Amino acid sequence: MKTFNNIKELLSTLNREEKLLSEMFTKRKSLNYKLSYAIEMVDSNEDRINLLLQLSVIRENGGFLEIDDQFLEFFEQILDVNEEINLSYINENIKSIKENINYYFNENNENKKYTYLKFIKKTFRKMGIITLRSVVDVRRNIENTFKNESNYKNKQLKLEHLDEKRAIVKDLITQTLALINNEELTFFKTATDEELNRIIKELKYSLSECTHNLIEIEKQIIDYLNQIKHQGKFIEKLRKLKYLKDQFRIESETDLKQILSQKNQVIFQKRVSEPINLSIDYLRDDEIAFSIIKKVAKRNLDKLNYTPLIAENISDEYLENSIEKEVMINLEEIRNKFVATSDNLFNFIINYDFSKKVSFNERVTIFCQMASQFEFEFSFEDESQTENGIEYALVYPK
Amino acid sequence: MITKYTSDIFEVLRKGQFICYNSPKDNIQTLYKILENEDTFEELYEYFYKINYILEEGDEYFYFSRSKEKNNDLERKLEKAFGWIDILDFFKTYDSSFDVGFRFTPSEIDSQLKNNADLKTKLENLKKIGSDKKNYLDRIKKIIEKLERDNYISLENEISETYKVLTSFNYLKDLINTINIPEEIANEIPE
Repeated sequence: MKTFNNIKELLSTLNREEKLLSEMFTKRKSLNYKLSYAIEMVDSNEDRINLLLQLSVIRENGGFLEIDDQFLEFFEQILDVNEEINLSYINENIKSIKENINYYFNENNENKKYTYLKFIKKTFRKMGIITLRSVVDVRRNIENTFKNESNYKNKQLKLEHLDEKRAIVKDLITQTLALINNEELTFFKTATDEELNRIIKELKYSLSECTHNLIEIEKQIIDYLNQIKHQGKFIEKLRKLKYLKDQFRIESETDLKQILSQKNQVIFQKRVSEPINLSIDYLRDDEIAFSIIKKVAKRNLDKLNYTPLIAENISDEYLENSIEKEVMINLEEIRNKFVATSDNLFNFIINYDFSKKVSFNERVTIFCQMASQFEFEFSFEDESQTENGIEYALVYPK
Repeated sequence: MITKYTSDIFEVLRKGQFICYNSPKDNIQTLYKILENEDTFEELYEYFYKINYILEEGDEYFYFSRSKEKNNDLERKLEKAFGWIDILDFFKTYDSSFDVGFRFTPSEIDSQLKNNADLKTKLENLKKIGSDKKNYLDRIKKIIEKLERDNYISLENEISETYKVLTSFNYLKDLINTINIPEEIANEIPE
Protein backbone atom coordinates (compact mmCIF):
# COMPACT_ATOMS: atom_id res chain seq x y z
CA MET A 1 0.00 0.00 0.00
CA LYS A 2 1.25 3.39 -0.92
CA THR A 3 1.49 5.95 1.87
CA PHE A 4 2.48 9.53 2.19
CA ASN A 5 6.18 9.92 2.77
CA ASN A 6 6.07 13.15 4.68
CA ILE A 7 3.68 15.81 5.87
CA LYS A 8 4.57 18.08 2.99
CA GLU A 9 3.45 15.49 0.49
CA LEU A 10 0.22 14.92 2.40
CA LEU A 11 -0.60 18.61 2.55
CA SER A 12 0.22 19.30 -1.06
CA THR A 13 -1.89 16.33 -2.19
CA LEU A 14 -4.84 17.45 -0.12
CA ASN A 15 -4.36 20.97 -1.36
CA ARG A 16 -4.30 19.85 -4.98
CA GLU A 17 -7.60 17.97 -4.61
CA GLU A 18 -9.13 20.58 -2.35
CA LYS A 19 -12.11 21.12 -4.65
CA LEU A 20 -13.04 17.46 -4.90
CA LEU A 21 -12.49 16.70 -1.24
CA SER A 22 -14.46 19.64 0.04
CA GLU A 23 -17.29 18.74 -2.31
CA MET A 24 -17.25 15.13 -1.15
CA PHE A 25 -17.03 16.18 2.46
CA THR A 26 -20.14 18.33 2.27
CA LYS A 27 -21.99 15.45 0.62
CA ARG A 28 -20.65 12.81 2.99
CA LYS A 29 -24.09 12.09 4.39
CA SER A 30 -25.70 11.23 1.07
CA LEU A 31 -23.21 8.41 0.43
CA ASN A 32 -23.60 8.44 -3.32
CA TYR A 33 -20.91 10.56 -4.79
CA LYS A 34 -20.55 9.21 -8.30
CA LEU A 35 -17.16 8.45 -9.74
CA SER A 36 -18.14 10.26 -12.91
CA TYR A 37 -18.81 13.50 -10.98
CA ALA A 38 -15.46 13.16 -9.27
CA ILE A 39 -13.65 12.77 -12.59
CA GLU A 40 -15.21 15.99 -13.78
CA MET A 41 -14.09 17.73 -10.60
CA VAL A 42 -10.45 16.86 -11.31
CA ASP A 43 -10.52 18.14 -14.88
CA SER A 44 -11.16 14.65 -16.32
CA ASN A 45 -7.76 13.44 -15.17
CA GLU A 46 -8.42 9.94 -13.88
CA ASP A 47 -4.85 9.54 -12.71
CA ARG A 48 -5.48 12.06 -9.99
CA ILE A 49 -8.38 10.00 -8.67
CA ASN A 50 -6.30 6.85 -8.91
CA LEU A 51 -3.54 8.45 -6.87
CA LEU A 52 -6.02 9.37 -4.14
CA LEU A 53 -7.35 5.83 -4.21
CA GLN A 54 -3.86 4.39 -3.90
CA LEU A 55 -3.09 6.66 -0.99
CA SER A 56 -6.39 5.57 0.67
CA VAL A 57 -7.65 9.12 0.93
CA ILE A 58 -10.80 7.98 -0.81
CA ARG A 59 -12.33 4.59 -1.43
CA GLU A 60 -14.29 3.30 -4.35
CA ASN A 61 -17.39 1.22 -3.95
CA GLY A 62 -19.41 0.16 -6.97
CA GLY A 63 -19.05 3.36 -8.98
CA PHE A 64 -19.39 5.55 -5.90
CA LEU A 65 -16.67 7.32 -3.99
CA GLU A 66 -16.31 8.03 -0.30
CA ILE A 67 -13.67 9.72 1.77
CA ASP A 68 -11.77 7.16 3.78
CA ASP A 69 -12.96 6.82 7.36
CA GLN A 70 -9.63 7.81 8.78
CA PHE A 71 -9.61 11.07 6.87
CA LEU A 72 -13.30 11.66 7.37
CA GLU A 73 -12.93 11.32 11.10
CA PHE A 74 -9.93 13.62 11.05
CA PHE A 75 -11.77 16.28 9.08
CA GLU A 76 -14.85 16.02 11.24
CA GLN A 77 -12.91 16.31 14.44
CA ILE A 78 -10.85 19.24 13.32
CA LEU A 79 -13.90 21.01 11.92
CA ASP A 80 -15.93 20.21 15.02
CA VAL A 81 -18.74 18.59 13.07
CA ASN A 82 -18.42 14.97 14.11
CA GLU A 83 -21.68 13.25 14.74
CA GLU A 84 -20.30 10.20 16.42
CA ILE A 85 -19.14 10.86 19.90
CA ASN A 86 -16.14 8.75 20.64
CA LEU A 87 -15.55 8.59 24.33
CA SER A 88 -12.91 5.92 24.26
CA TYR A 89 -10.32 8.68 23.85
CA ILE A 90 -10.92 10.03 27.30
CA ASN A 91 -10.84 6.61 28.82
CA GLU A 92 -7.59 5.74 27.07
CA ASN A 93 -6.07 9.01 28.13
CA ILE A 94 -6.83 8.37 31.78
CA LYS A 95 -5.22 4.98 31.47
CA SER A 96 -2.13 6.28 29.77
CA ILE A 97 -1.73 9.04 32.36
CA LYS A 98 -1.82 6.46 35.11
CA GLU A 99 0.73 4.34 33.30
CA ASN A 100 3.01 7.28 32.69
CA ILE A 101 2.82 8.35 36.31
CA ASN A 102 4.03 4.91 37.26
CA TYR A 103 6.87 5.12 34.78
CA TYR A 104 7.70 8.53 36.13
CA PHE A 105 8.10 7.19 39.65
CA ASN A 106 10.07 4.18 38.58
CA GLU A 107 12.48 6.10 36.41
CA ASN A 108 15.63 7.50 37.88
CA ASN A 109 17.01 9.17 34.85
CA GLU A 110 15.98 12.84 35.04
CA ASN A 111 15.95 13.18 31.32
CA LYS A 112 13.57 10.27 30.84
CA LYS A 113 11.48 11.43 33.76
CA TYR A 114 11.05 14.71 31.98
CA THR A 115 9.82 12.92 28.84
CA TYR A 116 7.14 11.14 30.87
CA LEU A 117 6.16 14.36 32.52
CA LYS A 118 5.90 16.03 29.15
CA PHE A 119 3.64 13.26 27.92
CA ILE A 120 1.44 13.56 30.99
CA LYS A 121 1.11 17.29 30.49
CA LYS A 122 0.24 16.84 26.84
CA THR A 123 -2.41 14.26 27.68
CA PHE A 124 -4.00 16.42 30.36
CA ARG A 125 -4.20 19.32 27.97
CA LYS A 126 -5.77 17.11 25.34
CA MET A 127 -8.31 15.73 27.80
CA GLY A 128 -9.71 19.13 28.60
CA ILE A 129 -10.30 19.84 24.94
CA ILE A 130 -11.69 16.40 24.14
CA THR A 131 -14.11 16.45 27.04
CA LEU A 132 -15.39 19.88 26.18
CA ARG A 133 -15.80 18.90 22.57
CA SER A 134 -17.69 15.73 23.50
CA VAL A 135 -20.06 17.76 25.61
CA VAL A 136 -20.69 20.16 22.75
CA ASP A 137 -21.18 17.22 20.39
CA VAL A 138 -23.66 15.55 22.70
CA ARG A 139 -25.63 18.71 22.95
CA ARG A 140 -25.70 19.35 19.21
CA ASN A 141 -26.61 15.77 18.45
CA ILE A 142 -29.45 15.83 20.91
CA GLU A 143 -30.93 18.92 19.33
CA ASN A 144 -30.43 17.56 15.84
CA THR A 145 -32.02 14.26 16.69
CA PHE A 146 -34.97 15.84 18.37
CA LYS A 147 -35.63 18.26 15.56
CA ASN A 148 -34.74 16.25 12.49
CA GLU A 149 -35.30 12.58 13.16
CA SER A 150 -38.66 11.77 11.65
CA ASN A 151 -39.02 8.21 12.84
CA TYR A 152 -40.57 8.28 16.26
CA LYS A 153 -39.14 5.09 17.64
CA ASN A 154 -35.69 5.89 16.35
CA LYS A 155 -35.89 9.37 17.77
CA GLN A 156 -36.62 7.99 21.19
CA LEU A 157 -33.93 5.33 20.94
CA LYS A 158 -31.34 7.78 19.69
CA LEU A 159 -32.10 10.22 22.46
CA GLU A 160 -31.86 7.47 25.06
CA HIS A 161 -28.59 6.43 23.55
CA LEU A 162 -27.31 10.00 23.69
CA ASP A 163 -28.41 10.15 27.29
CA GLU A 164 -26.22 7.14 27.99
CA LYS A 165 -23.31 8.93 26.34
CA ARG A 166 -23.98 11.91 28.52
CA ALA A 167 -23.79 9.65 31.58
CA ILE A 168 -20.48 8.24 30.34
CA VAL A 169 -19.00 11.70 29.88
CA LYS A 170 -20.13 12.59 33.36
CA ASP A 171 -18.55 9.45 34.69
CA LEU A 172 -15.29 10.17 32.90
CA ILE A 173 -15.18 13.67 34.32
CA THR A 174 -15.56 12.26 37.83
CA GLN A 175 -12.82 9.76 37.11
CA THR A 176 -10.47 12.45 35.85
CA LEU A 177 -11.15 14.63 38.86
CA ALA A 178 -10.64 11.68 41.18
CA LEU A 179 -7.35 11.01 39.46
CA ILE A 180 -6.19 14.56 40.05
CA ASN A 181 -7.65 15.09 43.49
CA ASN A 182 -7.34 11.74 45.24
CA GLU A 183 -5.53 8.96 43.48
CA GLU A 184 -2.23 10.40 42.40
CA LEU A 185 -1.66 12.93 45.11
CA THR A 186 1.97 12.02 45.51
CA PHE A 187 2.67 12.70 41.89
CA PHE A 188 1.10 16.10 41.91
CA LYS A 189 2.90 16.99 45.13
CA THR A 190 6.29 15.81 43.96
CA ALA A 191 6.28 16.73 40.33
CA THR A 192 6.47 20.41 40.95
CA ASP A 193 6.21 21.81 37.54
CA GLU A 194 4.87 25.25 36.87
CA GLU A 195 3.32 24.28 33.56
CA LEU A 196 1.72 21.15 34.96
CA ASN A 197 0.03 23.17 37.67
CA ARG A 198 -1.33 25.58 35.13
CA ILE A 199 -2.57 22.81 32.90
CA ILE A 200 -4.27 21.08 35.80
CA LYS A 201 -5.96 24.31 36.79
CA GLU A 202 -7.20 24.85 33.28
CA LEU A 203 -8.37 21.26 33.08
CA LYS A 204 -10.28 21.57 36.31
CA TYR A 205 -11.86 24.76 35.09
CA SER A 206 -12.96 23.29 31.79
CA LEU A 207 -14.20 20.12 33.51
CA SER A 208 -16.37 22.10 35.85
CA GLU A 209 -17.72 23.98 32.87
CA CYS A 210 -18.47 20.63 31.25
CA THR A 211 -20.27 19.47 34.37
CA HIS A 212 -22.50 22.51 34.28
CA ASN A 213 -23.21 21.93 30.65
CA LEU A 214 -24.04 18.32 31.31
CA ILE A 215 -26.59 19.23 33.94
CA GLU A 216 -28.29 21.48 31.42
CA ILE A 217 -28.11 18.74 28.79
CA GLU A 218 -29.65 16.27 31.17
CA LYS A 219 -32.54 18.63 31.77
CA GLN A 220 -32.98 19.12 28.05
CA ILE A 221 -32.93 15.44 27.27
CA ILE A 222 -35.47 14.66 29.96
CA ASP A 223 -37.69 17.35 28.56
CA TYR A 224 -37.33 16.02 25.01
CA LEU A 225 -37.98 12.46 26.07
CA ASN A 226 -41.06 13.56 27.95
CA GLN A 227 -42.33 15.44 24.93
CA ILE A 228 -41.82 12.40 22.76
CA LYS A 229 -43.50 10.17 25.25
CA HIS A 230 -46.39 12.55 25.46
CA GLN A 231 -46.68 12.84 21.69
CA GLY A 232 -46.27 9.13 21.23
CA LYS A 233 -48.90 8.44 23.82
CA PHE A 234 -51.25 10.82 22.10
CA ILE A 235 -50.74 9.23 18.71
CA GLU A 236 -51.20 5.80 20.23
CA LYS A 237 -54.44 6.89 21.81
CA LEU A 238 -55.65 8.49 18.60
CA ARG A 239 -54.84 5.36 16.67
CA LYS A 240 -56.79 3.25 19.10
CA LEU A 241 -59.78 5.53 18.99
CA LYS A 242 -59.69 5.55 15.22
CA TYR A 243 -59.56 1.77 15.24
CA LEU A 244 -62.54 1.50 17.54
CA LYS A 245 -64.39 4.06 15.49
CA ASP A 246 -63.78 2.19 12.27
CA GLN A 247 -65.03 -0.95 13.99
CA PHE A 248 -68.18 0.91 15.11
CA ARG A 249 -67.32 0.05 18.68
CA ILE A 250 -66.28 3.43 19.94
CA GLU A 251 -69.70 4.34 21.33
CA SER A 252 -70.16 1.14 23.24
CA GLU A 253 -66.60 0.53 24.35
CA THR A 254 -65.51 3.97 25.48
CA ASP A 255 -67.03 6.72 27.55
CA LEU A 256 -67.14 9.04 24.54
CA LYS A 257 -70.90 9.48 24.79
CA GLN A 258 -70.74 10.42 28.42
CA ILE A 259 -67.94 12.88 27.82
CA LEU A 260 -69.65 14.49 24.91
CA SER A 261 -72.94 14.81 26.73
CA GLN A 262 -71.10 16.88 29.29
CA LYS A 263 -69.55 19.09 26.65
CA ASN A 264 -71.62 22.10 25.84
CA GLN A 265 -69.29 24.07 23.66
CA VAL A 266 -70.87 26.28 21.10
CA ILE A 267 -68.72 24.56 18.49
CA PHE A 268 -71.04 21.57 18.69
CA GLN A 269 -74.06 23.65 17.95
CA LYS A 270 -75.64 24.07 14.62
CA ARG A 271 -74.92 27.47 13.27
CA VAL A 272 -78.34 29.00 12.95
CA SER A 273 -78.97 32.11 11.03
CA GLU A 274 -80.95 34.46 13.17
CA PRO A 275 -84.32 35.50 11.78
CA ILE A 276 -84.37 38.93 13.34
CA ASN A 277 -87.03 41.33 12.11
CA LEU A 278 -85.99 44.63 10.68
CA SER A 279 -86.66 47.79 12.55
CA ILE A 280 -89.58 49.64 10.96
CA ASP A 281 -88.12 52.99 11.83
CA TYR A 282 -84.95 52.07 10.10
CA LEU A 283 -86.79 51.03 6.95
CA ARG A 284 -88.77 54.21 7.00
CA ASP A 285 -86.04 56.73 7.64
CA ASP A 286 -82.82 55.44 6.33
CA GLU A 287 -81.58 56.33 2.87
CA ILE A 288 -79.54 53.18 2.50
CA ALA A 289 -82.45 51.03 3.52
CA PHE A 290 -84.53 52.69 0.86
CA SER A 291 -81.99 52.04 -1.84
CA ILE A 292 -81.78 48.40 -0.75
CA ILE A 293 -85.54 48.09 -0.88
CA LYS A 294 -85.49 49.49 -4.40
CA LYS A 295 -82.83 47.02 -5.39
CA VAL A 296 -84.70 44.06 -4.00
CA ALA A 297 -87.98 45.24 -5.45
CA LYS A 298 -86.41 45.52 -8.87
CA ARG A 299 -85.20 41.97 -8.64
CA ASN A 300 -88.63 40.75 -7.59
CA LEU A 301 -90.51 42.82 -10.13
CA ASP A 302 -91.40 40.12 -12.56
CA LYS A 303 -90.57 36.58 -11.84
CA LEU A 304 -92.08 35.27 -15.12
CA ASN A 305 -89.49 34.72 -17.65
CA TYR A 306 -90.74 35.70 -21.10
CA THR A 307 -88.79 34.55 -24.04
CA PRO A 308 -88.93 37.54 -26.34
CA LEU A 309 -89.92 36.97 -29.98
CA ILE A 310 -86.96 37.54 -32.11
CA ALA A 311 -87.22 38.63 -35.73
CA GLU A 312 -85.01 37.15 -38.35
CA ASN A 313 -81.81 38.81 -39.21
CA ILE A 314 -81.93 41.73 -41.52
CA SER A 315 -80.24 40.73 -44.74
CA ASP A 316 -77.04 42.54 -45.45
CA GLU A 317 -78.29 43.68 -48.79
CA TYR A 318 -80.67 46.03 -47.07
CA LEU A 319 -77.96 47.60 -45.13
CA GLU A 320 -75.78 48.40 -48.12
CA ASN A 321 -75.64 51.97 -49.35
CA SER A 322 -76.79 52.22 -53.00
CA ILE A 323 -77.14 55.69 -54.48
CA GLU A 324 -78.76 56.54 -57.84
CA LYS A 325 -78.38 60.02 -59.24
CA GLU A 326 -80.83 61.75 -61.54
CA VAL A 327 -80.70 65.26 -62.71
CA MET A 328 -84.12 66.94 -62.64
CA ILE A 329 -84.86 70.09 -64.51
CA ASN A 330 -86.00 72.84 -62.26
CA LEU A 331 -88.13 75.29 -64.25
CA GLU A 332 -88.07 77.92 -61.56
CA GLU A 333 -84.31 77.92 -61.63
CA ILE A 334 -84.29 78.38 -65.37
CA ARG A 335 -86.74 81.22 -65.08
CA ASN A 336 -84.57 82.97 -62.49
CA LYS A 337 -81.55 82.79 -64.70
CA PHE A 338 -83.58 83.78 -67.77
CA VAL A 339 -84.95 86.89 -66.09
CA ALA A 340 -81.40 88.12 -65.57
CA THR A 341 -80.64 88.03 -69.30
CA SER A 342 -81.87 90.00 -72.31
CA ASP A 343 -81.98 86.98 -74.62
CA ASN A 344 -85.22 85.53 -75.92
CA LEU A 345 -86.54 82.45 -74.17
CA PHE A 346 -86.24 80.01 -77.05
CA ASN A 347 -82.65 80.92 -77.72
CA PHE A 348 -81.90 80.83 -73.98
CA ILE A 349 -83.26 77.35 -73.55
CA ILE A 350 -81.51 75.97 -76.62
CA ASN A 351 -78.16 77.22 -75.28
CA TYR A 352 -78.85 76.45 -71.57
CA ASP A 353 -76.47 74.08 -69.86
CA PHE A 354 -78.65 71.55 -68.08
CA SER A 355 -75.67 69.50 -66.75
CA LYS A 356 -77.06 66.55 -68.67
CA LYS A 357 -77.74 65.84 -72.24
CA VAL A 358 -81.07 67.34 -73.30
CA SER A 359 -82.28 66.80 -76.92
CA PHE A 360 -83.69 69.55 -79.12
CA ASN A 361 -87.20 68.16 -78.81
CA GLU A 362 -87.02 68.13 -75.09
CA ARG A 363 -85.70 71.67 -75.09
CA VAL A 364 -88.73 72.68 -77.18
CA THR A 365 -90.96 70.99 -74.62
CA ILE A 366 -89.24 72.90 -71.84
CA PHE A 367 -89.75 76.12 -73.81
CA CYS A 368 -93.48 75.39 -74.08
CA GLN A 369 -93.71 74.50 -70.37
CA MET A 370 -91.91 77.67 -69.38
CA ALA A 371 -94.02 79.83 -71.67
CA SER A 372 -97.25 78.45 -70.30
CA GLN A 373 -96.25 78.25 -66.65
CA PHE A 374 -94.77 81.75 -66.36
CA GLU A 375 -97.07 83.36 -68.95
CA PHE A 376 -97.62 86.45 -66.82
CA GLU A 377 -94.01 86.99 -66.01
CA PHE A 378 -92.80 87.14 -69.60
CA SER A 379 -93.72 89.45 -72.47
CA PHE A 380 -94.63 87.80 -75.70
CA GLU A 381 -93.63 89.70 -78.91
CA ASP A 382 -95.82 89.52 -81.98
CA GLU A 383 -92.93 88.50 -84.16
CA SER A 384 -91.91 84.93 -84.51
CA GLN A 385 -88.82 83.13 -85.75
CA THR A 386 -88.17 79.76 -87.23
CA GLU A 387 -85.51 77.26 -86.29
CA ASN A 388 -85.17 73.59 -87.30
CA GLY A 389 -88.58 73.83 -88.92
CA ILE A 390 -90.19 75.06 -85.73
CA GLU A 391 -91.79 78.43 -85.59
CA TYR A 392 -91.61 80.05 -82.19
CA ALA A 393 -92.66 83.25 -80.60
CA LEU A 394 -90.01 85.58 -79.25
CA VAL A 395 -90.40 85.76 -75.51
CA TYR A 396 -88.50 88.20 -73.32
CA PRO A 397 -88.41 88.77 -69.60
CA LYS A 398 -90.68 91.58 -68.50
CA MET B 1 -70.59 47.54 27.34
CA ILE B 2 -67.51 46.41 29.24
CA THR B 3 -64.91 47.02 26.58
CA LYS B 4 -65.34 48.33 23.10
CA TYR B 5 -64.53 44.85 21.86
CA THR B 6 -67.34 43.09 23.68
CA SER B 7 -69.47 42.75 20.59
CA ASP B 8 -66.50 41.60 18.49
CA ILE B 9 -65.69 38.92 21.05
CA PHE B 10 -69.29 37.83 21.11
CA GLU B 11 -69.51 37.67 17.33
CA VAL B 12 -66.46 35.42 17.06
CA LEU B 13 -67.20 33.09 19.94
CA ARG B 14 -70.88 32.75 19.20
CA LYS B 15 -70.05 31.06 15.91
CA GLY B 16 -68.31 28.32 17.87
CA GLN B 17 -64.91 29.72 17.00
CA PHE B 18 -61.94 30.08 19.27
CA ILE B 19 -59.91 33.13 20.14
CA CYS B 20 -56.38 31.81 19.94
CA TYR B 21 -53.11 33.16 21.22
CA ASN B 22 -51.26 32.32 18.00
CA SER B 23 -53.87 33.31 15.47
CA PRO B 24 -52.32 34.96 12.41
CA LYS B 25 -55.24 37.36 12.28
CA ASP B 26 -54.63 40.70 13.90
CA ASN B 27 -58.16 41.25 15.11
CA ILE B 28 -58.19 37.89 16.92
CA GLN B 29 -54.84 38.74 18.51
CA THR B 30 -56.31 41.98 19.80
CA LEU B 31 -59.30 40.14 21.26
CA TYR B 32 -57.02 37.60 22.90
CA LYS B 33 -55.12 40.38 24.61
CA ILE B 34 -58.36 41.83 25.93
CA LEU B 35 -59.48 38.49 27.31
CA GLU B 36 -56.07 37.80 28.78
CA ASN B 37 -56.63 40.47 31.37
CA GLU B 38 -58.10 38.64 34.34
CA ASP B 39 -60.38 41.42 35.47
CA THR B 40 -61.83 41.96 32.03
CA PHE B 41 -62.29 38.21 31.71
CA GLU B 42 -64.25 38.07 34.95
CA GLU B 43 -66.44 40.95 33.92
CA LEU B 44 -67.09 39.51 30.49
CA TYR B 45 -67.80 36.13 32.04
CA GLU B 46 -70.53 37.67 34.16
CA TYR B 47 -71.83 39.65 31.22
CA PHE B 48 -72.13 36.71 28.86
CA TYR B 49 -73.38 34.43 31.62
CA LYS B 50 -76.54 36.50 31.79
CA ILE B 51 -77.34 35.68 28.21
CA ASN B 52 -76.62 31.99 28.66
CA TYR B 53 -73.17 31.89 27.17
CA ILE B 54 -70.34 30.68 29.33
CA LEU B 55 -66.99 32.22 28.51
CA GLU B 56 -64.28 29.63 29.07
CA GLU B 57 -60.53 29.69 29.04
CA GLY B 58 -58.42 26.83 27.72
CA ASP B 59 -54.72 26.38 27.18
CA GLU B 60 -54.03 29.63 25.32
CA TYR B 61 -57.49 29.93 23.83
CA PHE B 62 -60.97 31.14 24.74
CA TYR B 63 -64.33 29.73 23.73
CA PHE B 64 -68.01 29.73 24.53
CA SER B 65 -70.03 26.93 25.95
CA ARG B 66 -73.67 26.87 26.86
CA SER B 67 -75.57 25.82 29.90
CA LYS B 68 -76.62 22.24 29.80
CA GLU B 69 -80.18 22.25 28.62
CA LYS B 70 -79.38 24.42 25.64
CA ASN B 71 -77.15 21.95 23.88
CA ASN B 72 -77.93 18.31 24.17
CA ASP B 73 -77.98 16.99 20.68
CA LEU B 74 -75.71 14.04 21.40
CA GLU B 75 -75.89 12.57 17.94
CA ARG B 76 -74.60 15.74 16.43
CA LYS B 77 -71.75 15.90 18.88
CA LEU B 78 -70.78 12.32 18.16
CA GLU B 79 -70.77 13.01 14.48
CA LYS B 80 -68.51 16.00 14.99
CA ALA B 81 -66.15 14.08 17.23
CA PHE B 82 -65.95 11.23 14.72
CA GLY B 83 -65.12 13.66 11.97
CA TRP B 84 -62.33 15.13 14.06
CA ILE B 85 -60.89 11.75 14.88
CA ASP B 86 -60.74 10.89 11.18
CA ILE B 87 -59.15 14.15 10.18
CA LEU B 88 -56.74 14.17 13.08
CA ASP B 89 -55.70 10.64 12.26
CA PHE B 90 -55.05 11.74 8.69
CA PHE B 91 -52.86 14.68 9.70
CA LYS B 92 -50.98 12.72 12.33
CA THR B 93 -50.21 10.16 9.66
CA TYR B 94 -48.95 12.93 7.44
CA ASP B 95 -46.65 14.23 10.15
CA SER B 96 -46.56 12.95 13.70
CA SER B 97 -45.45 16.35 14.92
CA PHE B 98 -48.71 17.91 13.72
CA ASP B 99 -49.47 20.04 16.74
CA VAL B 100 -49.89 23.62 17.88
CA GLY B 101 -47.68 25.91 15.82
CA PHE B 102 -47.17 23.35 13.04
CA ARG B 103 -47.13 24.82 9.55
CA PHE B 104 -48.04 23.07 6.34
CA THR B 105 -49.29 23.62 2.81
CA PRO B 106 -51.79 21.51 0.86
CA SER B 107 -49.20 20.77 -1.81
CA GLU B 108 -46.77 19.41 0.79
CA ILE B 109 -49.36 16.89 1.86
CA ASP B 110 -50.11 16.11 -1.75
CA SER B 111 -46.47 15.34 -2.45
CA GLN B 112 -46.35 13.11 0.63
CA LEU B 113 -49.12 10.98 -0.84
CA LYS B 114 -46.71 9.51 -3.36
CA ASN B 115 -44.34 8.25 -0.70
CA ASN B 116 -46.82 7.32 1.97
CA ALA B 117 -49.29 4.66 1.01
CA ASP B 118 -50.87 4.75 4.45
CA LEU B 119 -51.67 8.42 4.03
CA LYS B 120 -53.17 7.79 0.62
CA THR B 121 -55.43 5.03 1.93
CA LYS B 122 -56.58 7.29 4.72
CA LEU B 123 -57.36 10.06 2.28
CA GLU B 124 -59.32 7.68 0.16
CA ASN B 125 -61.23 6.46 3.19
CA LEU B 126 -62.26 9.97 4.09
CA LYS B 127 -65.13 9.56 1.68
CA LYS B 128 -67.46 12.01 3.27
CA ILE B 129 -65.23 14.96 2.61
CA GLY B 130 -64.67 16.16 -0.88
CA SER B 131 -65.52 12.93 -2.64
CA ASP B 132 -66.91 14.99 -5.48
CA LYS B 133 -63.40 16.19 -6.20
CA LYS B 134 -61.37 14.09 -8.54
CA ASN B 135 -57.80 15.03 -7.81
CA TYR B 136 -56.11 14.50 -4.48
CA LEU B 137 -54.99 18.07 -3.99
CA ASP B 138 -58.58 19.29 -4.12
CA ARG B 139 -59.64 16.65 -1.64
CA ILE B 140 -56.86 17.63 0.73
CA LYS B 141 -57.96 21.22 0.40
CA LYS B 142 -61.50 20.19 1.34
CA ILE B 143 -60.24 18.45 4.45
CA ILE B 144 -58.16 21.45 5.40
CA GLU B 145 -61.15 23.66 4.80
CA LYS B 146 -63.18 21.61 7.24
CA LEU B 147 -60.58 21.91 9.95
CA GLU B 148 -60.26 25.60 9.22
CA ARG B 149 -64.00 26.07 9.53
CA ASP B 150 -63.86 24.53 12.98
CA ASN B 151 -61.10 27.02 13.69
CA TYR B 152 -58.30 24.64 14.64
CA ILE B 153 -56.05 25.88 11.86
CA SER B 154 -55.81 29.17 10.05
CA LEU B 155 -54.39 30.40 6.77
CA GLU B 156 -51.23 32.24 7.59
CA ASN B 157 -49.86 33.11 4.17
CA GLU B 158 -52.18 33.40 1.22
CA ILE B 159 -49.47 33.40 -1.42
CA SER B 160 -47.70 30.27 -0.27
CA GLU B 161 -50.96 28.78 1.07
CA THR B 162 -49.35 28.09 4.41
CA TYR B 163 -51.65 27.01 7.22
CA LYS B 164 -50.83 27.14 10.88
CA VAL B 165 -52.19 24.98 13.68
CA LEU B 166 -53.78 27.18 16.32
CA THR B 167 -53.71 26.84 20.08
CA SER B 168 -57.33 25.72 19.92
CA PHE B 169 -55.90 22.43 18.76
CA ASN B 170 -55.22 21.82 22.45
CA TYR B 171 -58.95 21.57 22.88
CA LEU B 172 -59.09 18.72 20.43
CA LYS B 173 -56.16 17.01 22.11
CA ASP B 174 -57.75 17.36 25.51
CA LEU B 175 -60.94 15.86 24.17
CA ILE B 176 -59.08 12.86 22.79
CA ASN B 177 -57.12 12.50 26.00
CA THR B 178 -60.19 12.52 28.19
CA ILE B 179 -61.76 9.61 26.38
CA ASN B 180 -61.20 6.43 28.32
CA ILE B 181 -60.49 3.17 26.65
CA PRO B 182 -60.94 0.36 29.16
CA GLU B 183 -57.76 -1.62 29.49
CA GLU B 184 -59.11 -4.94 28.32
CA ILE B 185 -60.37 -3.29 25.14
CA ALA B 186 -57.09 -1.45 24.63
CA ASN B 187 -55.20 -4.69 24.87
CA GLU B 188 -57.35 -6.20 22.17
CA ILE B 189 -56.41 -3.56 19.62
CA PRO B 190 -53.64 -4.83 17.37
CA GLU B 191 -50.40 -2.87 17.23
